[in-house]
Amino acid sequence: MSAAIWMEVLKAKGRKIWLVVAIMMAVQLLWAGWAISNKDANDLAQGWLFFLYQFPMLNCIIMPVIAAVVASRLSDVEHKGQTFKLLETIIPTKRIFAAKFIWGSIYMLGAALGQLAIMIGMGVVLHFGGPVPWGALVGYLLFTLMVSLTIYVFQQGISMLVANQMVPMTLGLIGGFIGLFSMFFPQGFQKLVLWSYYGVLMQVGMNWDPITRATDFYWKAIDWPGLGLILVFFGLIYGVGQILFVRREV
Amino acid sequence: MNNIIETEGLSKQYGNVYRVKDVDLSVPEGAIYGFLGPNGAGKSTTLKMILGLTKPTAGAITVFGKRVNSKNRLENLKHVGSLIESPSYYGHLTGAENLRIFQTLRGVPKQNIVDVLKIVRLENQQHKKVSQYSLGMKQRLGLASALLGYPKLLILDEPTNGLDPAGISEMRELIQSLPQKFGMTVVVSSHLLSEVDQLATRVGIIREGELVYQDSLTKLHQYSKQHLAVRTLNNEVTKAFLSQNGVTWEAEDDYLIIPQMRDTRMAEISKALGQNNIGLVRIEERKKSLEDIFLELTGTAVSL
Repeated sequence: MSAAIWMEVLKAKGRKIWLVVAIMMAVQLLWAGWAISNKDANDLAQGWLFFLYQFPMLNCIIMPVIAAVVASRLSDVEHKGQTFKLLETIIPTKRIFAAKFIWGSIYMLGAALGQLAIMIGMGVVLHFGGPVPWGALVGYLLFTLMVSLTIYVFQQGISMLVANQMVPMTLGLIGGFIGLFSMFFPQGFQKLVLWSYYGVLMQVGMNWDPITRATDFYWKAIDWPGLGLILVFFGLIYGVGQILFVRREV
Repeated sequence: MNNIIETEGLSKQYGNVYRVKDVDLSVPEGAIYGFLGPNGAGKSTTLKMILGLTKPTAGAITVFGKRVNSKNRLENLKHVGSLIESPSYYGHLTGAENLRIFQTLRGVPKQNIVDVLKIVRLENQQHKKVSQYSLGMKQRLGLASALLGYPKLLILDEPTNGLDPAGISEMRELIQSLPQKFGMTVVVSSHLLSEVDQLATRVGIIREGELVYQDSLTKLHQYSKQHLAVRTLNNEVTKAFLSQNGVTWEAEDDYLIIPQMRDTRMAEISKALGQNNIGLVRIEERKKSLEDIFLELTGTAVSL
């Protein structure tokens, strides 16, 4: 397996996949900077909560785009070069799928760590109120990663099965928008949509007073059933994607 | 001689249509097996089934004496190199980097990269991106990938497709040298009769998914030897007469086709036919070309 993963690293050479992650992180950094720029000292006291509420919302769009682009970039080299028919005579088809998933996950991990670095960096520099909430930040990293990997494996499955990469890219974008808008719908509906799990697993809630127009953030309990469901989704999508990839004829 | 590949009743069906039907292939060790057939006859599908890339609907495949199944497929394929339909490559990487990927995955020594690049004469182009290669160079890189593990069996599907005459000749020389140099058995599919004629020692001809001929190329050539066509006023009596005199015959339209023979022998036969009151109308010399035979077997215009 290690050889197959190492070869994914070599295949990605010159593909500038990290650039996509970097650009999306830059967008997130700019947005975070802009969002926090008009906050006064009182607002900054809730800075950590503000970020832990806003970042998952933004992730509904950012992370699916990263997942779609990474999966597509890793798979289209195989379609263009018609390499699956050779690879499948050398290593097990399941291993091809797994190696690509593991290498793709590194990019998703990179993006999640990048977000964490942005939050911690800005929090420390701008002196958000209270100590750094390490527990919540680790929770954020894990939940973001869990949802992102589920979306990534969905994208990878389609990218590996369909040669025309416009199909998975379009699905990824549509999914992201559905995820974002589903946050305005009841939780029951949110749990049916893969892309809305960034919202489901949010650790922070928000109260908005229409009279004073003031917002107040508060810590929320972790949605354990939601976490369980996303794990089930992950297992199902990985399993189905792998089966379809193994069964298809080259 | 042992058979490296044997298939029994190999079939592939899509819906009600047979792509490959009851193919019994036998490829002897050390042979260059020419798998000949018009485009769409089922050559690639058959080869893909042997490699396990396509699942057969029915039949069995034996490679190196072992019945191939999903569990031992990759173990068997360790000794098989393949180039199916078109070369597999990563265009954004160099030739050497491409081979590095397949060498690592195959778990063979790094030195093999240097060696196979020499064999396919790409050593001077190895640091160039494959996207900048010509089609001929890509085909040679595909062959290099297939040769990386010095396999006992090499399966090449239309390896000269798209090449210019010089490229075809170069590829042919390369393939021809493999059994002698490395003791490989080579299966080459082609829709070009002339290519198989110049390359193969044994030939299998497939038409609409069915194997219509399989034997040595020498035997196929025998069909194209000169024959005599005899026409008489009573061919039925002539058939019996010829059989009594130990002459083999084959009826074709109004003629009886008999083997070429010495003039004195033919004179004796014609005299005897006259003595038996069988009116001899015509004796002609005939020669079937390989193309005629291919046409008869496949019912398709041959590509030359």
